[in-house]
Amino acid sequence: MKPCPFRYHAPTSMEAATGALALAGDDALVMSGGQSLMPMLNMRLARPSDVIDLRAVPDLGHVEVRDGMVDVGAMVTHRAAETDALIATNLPLAHRAAGMIGFRAIRNRGTVGGSIAHADPAAEWPAVLVALDGHVTLQSATAVRTISSDEFFVSVFTTAKLPGEIITGLSFSARFAQHWGFAEFQRRTGDFAIVAAAVACQVSESVITEARVVLAGVGSTPVRCAAAEAVLLGRAATAETAAAAAAAARDEVDPIGDVHASADYRRRLVFSETHRAISQALSPRVGDLAHA
Amino acid sequence: MREINVVINGSDVRATVSDRLLLSDFIRDDQRLTGTHVGCEHGYCGSCTVLLDGASVRSCLTLAVQTDGHVIETVESLAVGADLHPIQEAFRLNHGLQCGFCTPGLLMTTLELARENRECSREEIRERLAGNLCRCTGYHHIVDAVEAALRTGGRDDG
Amino acid sequence: MMDDVRSPRLVGARVLRVEDRRLLTGSGRFVADIALDRMLAAKFVRADVAHGNLTGVDVSAGLSIDGVLAVFVGSDFADHEVRCVSSYEGFQSSGQPILAVDRVRFVGEAIAMVVADDEYVAEDGCDAVIVDIEALTPILSRAQALADDAEPLHAGWVGNAYARRALRTPRFDQAVANAAHHLTLQLTNGRHTGIPIETRGCVAEYDRGSGVFRLFTTTQIPHLIRAGLSLALGVPESNIQVVSPDVGGGFGVKAQLYVEDVACCLAARALGRPIKWVEDRREHFIASHHSREHYHSVTAHFDDDGVVQALEADVAVDMGAYSVFPWTATMDNGMAMGILPGPYRIHHYAATGTPYCTNKTPYGAYRGVARPAACFSIERLIDQIARHRGLDRVEVRRRNLLQGSDYPWHSPSGLVYDSGSLIESMDKVVELADYDGLLVDQARGRAEGRLLGIGLVAFTEQTAHSTQEFKLRGVPIVFGYETVRVRMDASGQAVVAASIHDHGQGLETTLAQITADRLGLAIEDVHVQYGDTDRVAYGSGTFASRSAVLAGGAATKAADVVADVLREVAAHCLEASPEDVVLDAGKLWVRGTPSRSIEVKEVCRLVYQRPERLPDGVEPMLEATRTYDAAPGTGAYTNAAHLAMVEVDQQTGKSQVLTYAVVEDCGPMINPMIVEGQIFGGIAQGIGTALFEEFLYDDDGQPLSTTFADYLIPTMTDVPDFRVAHLQTPSPHTIGGIKGMGEGGAIPPGAVIAAAIEDAISPLGHVVITRLPLTPERVLEYIDAAKNQGGGR
Repeated sequence: MKPCPFRYHAPTSMEAATGALALAGDDALVMSGGQSLMPMLNMRLARPSDVIDLRAVPDLGHVEVRDGMVDVGAMVTHRAAETDALIATNLPLAHRAAGMIGFRAIRNRGTVGGSIAHADPAAEWPAVLVALDGHVTLQSATAVRTISSDEFFVSVFTTAKLPGEIITGLSFSARFAQHWGFAEFQRRTGDFAIVAAAVACQVSESVITEARVVLAGVGSTPVRCAAAEAVLLGRAATAETAAAAAAAARDEVDPIGDVHASADYRRRLVFSETHRAISQALSPRVGDLAHA
Repeated sequence: MREINVVINGSDVRATVSDRLLLSDFIRDDQRLTGTHVGCEHGYCGSCTVLLDGASVRSCLTLAVQTDGHVIETVESLAVGADLHPIQEAFRLNHGLQCGFCTPGLLMTTLELARENRECSREEIRERLAGNLCRCTGYHHIVDAVEAALRTGGRDDG
Repeated sequence: MMDDVRSPRLVGARVLRVEDRRLLTGSGRFVADIALDRMLAAKFVRADVAHGNLTGVDVSAGLSIDGVLAVFVGSDFADHEVRCVSSYEGFQSSGQPILAVDRVRFVGEAIAMVVADDEYVAEDGCDAVIVDIEALTPILSRAQALADDAEPLHAGWVGNAYARRALRTPRFDQAVANAAHHLTLQLTNGRHTGIPIETRGCVAEYDRGSGVFRLFTTTQIPHLIRAGLSLALGVPESNIQVVSPDVGGGFGVKAQLYVEDVACCLAARALGRPIKWVEDRREHFIASHHSREHYHSVTAHFDDDGVVQALEADVAVDMGAYSVFPWTATMDNGMAMGILPGPYRIHHYAATGTPYCTNKTPYGAYRGVARPAACFSIERLIDQIARHRGLDRVEVRRRNLLQGSDYPWHSPSGLVYDSGSLIESMDKVVELADYDGLLVDQARGRAEGRLLGIGLVAFTEQTAHSTQEFKLRGVPIVFGYETVRVRMDASGQAVVAASIHDHGQGLETTLAQITADRLGLAIEDVHVQYGDTDRVAYGSGTFASRSAVLAGGAATKAADVVADVLREVAAHCLEASPEDVVLDAGKLWVRGTPSRSIEVKEVCRLVYQRPERLPDGVEPMLEATRTYDAAPGTGAYTNAAHLAMVEVDQQTGKSQVLTYAVVEDCGPMINPMIVEGQIFGGIAQGIGTALFEEFLYDDDGQPLSTTFADYLIPTMTDVPDFRVAHLQTPSPHTIGGIKGMGEGGAIPPGAVIAAAIEDAISPLGHVVITRLPLTPERVLEYIDAAKNQGGGR
């Protein structure tokens, strides 16, 4: 399990990075933390001609609050997200989810941008980005653009990112800092979630005024559960509402089976995890709920 | 091939490595520091864990070229002459190893924890070290060892 | 008497391990650490279909890669194979080619071997080799393998059974007829294996001048590897040296001759350079042997009191594509049939067995060999008898377990249980775990809607079995004795060379403890060597919980011979009679007169360097080699009781082991610290058996469990803290009464945890758990069945 030969680039500016990517062509890969990419290289599931490492590119490690959004640089590590005070305060959902990724040694190196670019449908960050109504900022040699999280994830390991584009940052909405929930079912500590649920709500006078219910592990992308969201919207923030929404999510999803879990079992986990996440989101003691 | 300059266990090292060389192979084969072990090469077993600028990383999921200008610590850095590091001594006293293959990764993961200088319950220790697979011990004695190391000065360096 | 100068006994004490310092400092030497001059790296091209005709291997593109020196294919090694023939009547033999020649029989089978400057380039070469395989329908199940019209997987075979076995005690039918109740279970055990954290690997070199192969390899059984290599290479054993340095866990997986060992030797000879191969983890999952896939049908015939009158069993084991060396493809089946009656007073027994061939990775030994499945079957039966008769699980066991007066117990399958403390261990584990307190916790938890369950098993572990036992198992080499040579040097140091191997069991320490005590030395003055066929003549290695007993016994015998020489020389120096000389604490002195003494070191110096001072007839040598076979060779029976509490999440089906307590009786313990480490490690593997581990295949025979993300072994958070206590019933058969215990921890957890989960979900309804591993999804299926069935207790 050793990588195929490739040319390694460590550009020291975004311009150089996009330039190198443009030059290297379609078989080049961008590496940020490498914690998803390196196993694929070692197993030769990825065979790039060039690897463009963002490690030496400056200014990709920022966390900033701006206009109700939190901007997170692509090279912010899971560990940084897990410990950053701005993220803890403004994006408690992201803060919680970051701490559940892999192990410390993986979190020390893996990055938010890398996870979003990798677009594993079972991973935490893509679901969190969608739940927090986020945006992805992409830069190529010629342009910078921003794309909504709802449009970014296309399929398994496939995104709307064009060849030649590099993710430079993510933006997450801070408007869900009061009502959020995150639950995931893992076989063991540090495993990929079989099903994870990220829930972000706004509640006004005990009535749910906005709800985003996003599932990982049940489709080819993070899946928004329109039926569950419809149940929540306009309802009172009660245990009955949570159960009804979780049931709606279970009935709505159409997961596939694999070596880890059958489709039926995944559906049942959708109920349990969505129920836990929604219950947490609607709990009056926000963020204080022990994780089930 | 490119030249890198790294500090390994306190020594400046200049080396020429191929672009695709894994840090684990660089440490073991090029530097002949064979205490770092390779158990899976996909980031799950934790045997190859080393500290990079003080933070635990999987050396199998890191390229040697990425460590240019950085500081690496391996298991060989722990003991001073014949004196075991307090963490090593705690593993010895508590029978925290059997075949010894996963042990270097556990020691380095524990070193990172010990430097945080805080109390840990057995449950916290188990959570923290869950990314290091051991097939021999059943973990009980490892938890004993880490508990003892945190209590008796395993955190006194760094 | 003057005993005040005696050193404290090391045997029986919690002596810290002598091997730890090198392992803790990264100074161990594992196979992957070996670098020889001019060494090349090898990687293997492996079959990616389960069954097919190999129609072509085009190596040209591989050979053209810069740095690739050679690519070998099946025809290059066609004169060699690994074949292991059981002496069982009707055994159908399968030779495994070193590299596939015209047929592939499992995904992972080696097809070509690329040799290059380094591993990276060797993998590039493997990528470039083009293999053509014409796929055939794979055989992946018992039903497919044993169907009347099944195509045999090996030429010249009839059907796909490696063998068929049957045994039946006299008057079995009568006992069945007399029993009031009959209960049958069908049980399934998932395919899984040992998964050491160090993968396999080897370095082979060939000396043209002497014609000697030297193979460094990750093995538990150096001498048996030499024997197998001798057959596979076609050279005498004297032309082979097998060295097994530090090994990162074995568990049986590394107790086998693999084709890669042979291939590297052949390539080293062909190229005249050392060849190194280190298995990668993906290869390990498909090319290192599998284990544990047992299918049992068991019937208990019992009376109103829940006492078993007769037992009936059918055992089928999926042995994969080839019979492995040195175990054969019948070992697991034979062991299961033999041990299934377990620790119970069962007189009447009938069993049939069918090890069968499939297109899966070959099957070999894994810690406990067949006993986890046998224990699962018999204990699940006993639990159901308890339920059937409305008895507590402890009570029904009390009525059936062997007691002191039953020993020696001649089991209905022909085993001789030498001694034990089954009921005592069960009673003690009930106390240790605070069973009554757990029942209170369980009731309280249930009132809150939690699913909490308790499982309990008492069992025997046959250990240290040797000649007599392995003769019965049909293996071509009977694993009888072990060999130890004790030599004292002129500096007064004892060097102990043994035919066993230590890969975590602490034998380096325990053999040093034994020898140090016999020679009156400090442990620092004893140096244990193993893992090199050139050190002692013969032996089997380390497996089957036998090394401490057999090598310990041989060390005792050899050390005693050396001690006699020390005494004789000392007596000469001290002008006393050898019988009056006491040896201890590094000194020899005349009994009753400690001032008349001489240092052991001084005696050693005299023996080698001052031969003129030796008594007549004493040779200038402090060395003895002895073997030990623990007659009668049927084994020393360790027993233990395990008790666990498990919580099941009703929504997800996930089970968490909350409490685990063990009472172990392995006779007098050489080192309780090491004993406990072995028990804990075994239980953790058993938790893997119970809850996590299984090789899954798709319908085409593609393995689905090829990374640590798919094949789950327990992590630190999946295993609880353990509680342990000991009983020490000596074996009448072994030196020191010592019994083996290396495998025991891994044997019952499947049965214990299944019982606990069944108990946990019993408020929802009664189901009988018969399948391992109990993944969350399967537990949820059991929960559904319980709810549908209803009427929980």
